[in-house]
Amino acid sequence: MATPALAEKPAVTSRPGRRPRRPVFGRRDHLIALLLIAPAIAYFVVFLLYPALAALYYSFTDWDLRTAPNWVGVSNYTDLLFDQAKYPHFWQSVKVTLQYTLIAVPLTLGTALCQALLLNTIRRGANVFRLLLFLPVVTAEAAVGAIWRWLYDPQYGLVNVALGLVGIPRQNWLNTPELVIPALAFIAAWQCGISMIIYLAGLKGIPASIREAAIIDGAGPVQRFRRIVVPMLRPTTFYLLVTGVIAALQVFGLVYVIFSGGGGRSVTGGPEQSGLTYVLHLYLFAFRYDAMGAACAMSFILFVFILVITALQFRFLRQEAS
Amino acid sequence: MIRRVIGTAAAMTLLAGLAACGGGSGGAAATTTLTYWMFQDRTPQAGEVIEKLRTGFEQANKGVSVKIVKIPKDDYNTKLGSALASGSVPDVGVLDQPLVSRFALDGTIKEMPAGTIDEKAFYDGALTTNKVGGKLYGLPLDHTTVALFYNKALVPAPPKTWEDLKRVTAEVHQKDPKIAGMVVPKGDGYGGWMWPGFVAGAGGQMADVEQKKVLFDQPPAVEALQLWVDLLKSSPREITDSDKPFENGLAGMMISGPWDVANIKDQFPDLQLGVAPLPYKTQPAGNIGGENAVVFTKGSHAELAWKWLAYLTNSDNNTELAQALGGFPSNVAAAERDAATFGPDQAAFLEQLKVAQARPAVPQWIQINDEIIAPALESALSGKATAQQALSDAAAKTRTLLGWTG
Repeated sequence: MATPALAEKPAVTSRPGRRPRRPVFGRRDHLIALLLIAPAIAYFVVFLLYPALAALYYSFTDWDLRTAPNWVGVSNYTDLLFDQAKYPHFWQSVKVTLQYTLIAVPLTLGTALCQALLLNTIRRGANVFRLLLFLPVVTAEAAVGAIWRWLYDPQYGLVNVALGLVGIPRQNWLNTPELVIPALAFIAAWQCGISMIIYLAGLKGIPASIREAAIIDGAGPVQRFRRIVVPMLRPTTFYLLVTGVIAALQVFGLVYVIFSGGGGRSVTGGPEQSGLTYVLHLYLFAFRYDAMGAACAMSFILFVFILVITALQFRFLRQEAS
Repeated sequence: MIRRVIGTAAAMTLLAGLAACGGGSGGAAATTTLTYWMFQDRTPQAGEVIEKLRTGFEQANKGVSVKIVKIPKDDYNTKLGSALASGSVPDVGVLDQPLVSRFALDGTIKEMPAGTIDEKAFYDGALTTNKVGGKLYGLPLDHTTVALFYNKALVPAPPKTWEDLKRVTAEVHQKDPKIAGMVVPKGDGYGGWMWPGFVAGAGGQMADVEQKKVLFDQPPAVEALQLWVDLLKSSPREITDSDKPFENGLAGMMISGPWDVANIKDQFPDLQLGVAPLPYKTQPAGNIGGENAVVFTKGSHAELAWKWLAYLTNSDNNTELAQALGGFPSNVAAAERDAATFGPDQAAFLEQLKVAQARPAVPQWIQINDEIIAPALESALSGKATAQQALSDAAAKTRTLLGWTG
């Protein structure tokens, strides 16, 4: 929805034959403009820029939230990356998060596209199905966690019952280290409603004339999907891929709820730390182990990593997309 | 569920009313306000107890009002951390046991002035959780421990020793392979908290803080972990990882605390629940948990704050307070006088608390528990390492982290 609109914009403004714009802002206008954007700027500075800069500063200190921070240079960063005694599970959390991203993002996009295609085909009751498929997104995270813990229950879980019908033996989903990430990714795919809506908008944006022309030329449904739908949806897919990867790298709430088990029990990231995602690890250091300085350093490592990954995606995938 | 919501709402309205009355009558005279932070009430009744204690204190100390701030337990440490960082600190408040040493060493909390209380009036284990380097930094509002829960339909008589425990576990599973002998704790932070109770049951210790020695790679600890590994043979995880396996009759025994007794009786009235002290190898022992309360350095009215804590933990009030908090009185006289008011299910906990041992008072203990000990337990339980290998490795990591390599 957003991407096609963005892509059209430059084409409109750079239309030839248009008179060059005169500068319309006088001093007075400047002042009014500034006043109008002041709330937004204030919000940005107070709630985003200042905390980010403060976190950058604290990442070079040993701050524990209570006592005055001491400057420690880059040692938080070097210890995180190289000191296995101090941070025994840092690299594990990186591994878990990358695996999760690699599974969850394609699974989510695939599910979202399938749902959007189905919704686009049906004539009656589309609204009802759209609502039902979107429901997981607006459900409270704590409820989602509780429900999926029941679904994945090794004794009574419906997931095992369903697999049993096709002859697959019962699994202990959330307690087998190898199965934890796929199980979490599956929940993410179930919550793909937002991607589904965006794909649906993309599908509606494909002109009917193209489809009709293809039908007249004798293209079957598979060909139409491969030659028309997939290429026409590329900008949408690119947008969802970039935002999906960013979100997956920061996954936290669901893992926290799934593995906390309630009752004030501590969260250590599932069996053998197999569900210890990067942000969960960061959270534990910030608020459980009192190492806010190290946690700030972790958040900046993640920030740089996301920046690089996103830049790479723009560099190598966008050209293809446009 | 709806009934509970209505109940809570009603209680809150009532509390608000009470608070308003309290403010109205004593507000004019109050010159000193003491701010006290605590965890949110577990039940509406608990809220009433706290309110009663507060009013009692204000009546005994003219011109004083106690402002109680209740915070959900899961958010408490985060909120406290932010408050300490921003300088808007409470005068006095609850603090998790393992945090006392950390806060004491960096000067966030005050040492208790001599003569505030009589140390002999408290259970040793509970009081020790407030001691750092031999000095007292807080008072135990209550204390608690875990014990053995057993299903009388599956386990007629509770095991007393480790050998009994192994035998009974095997028998239960042999009789019906769909039922696990017991729910063996996991290698997570929670399991790591319970495990020292077993280590102490074999006569061992986790660490000797004064001598700077890590001891959980010594034979008693290795035997305790090996016990868990052995118990797992008759207690398959496929059964015990299910939702509430013990409550649903899928496991003969489990280890849990007093907070579960009421829940089980309420939700599983048909379960024939029995509670017994933890089985031991050489001596009865247990772990310890509960809520401590401390006085913050940056807060004001320190003298009054200690008076408030002494009031909450004195022999008149401590039973009521501890029951409201879901634990047991840490004041010996209170516990002995009111022992009869605790039901037979609670007797096992009370018995065990006499021999419960505090966690090592090192500031990094939570991190060591979660990041080093818990994974070591898990690697032995999952068969990836022997108990000795896992614990030697964990102890070495702990020595490096603490700098106790000498």
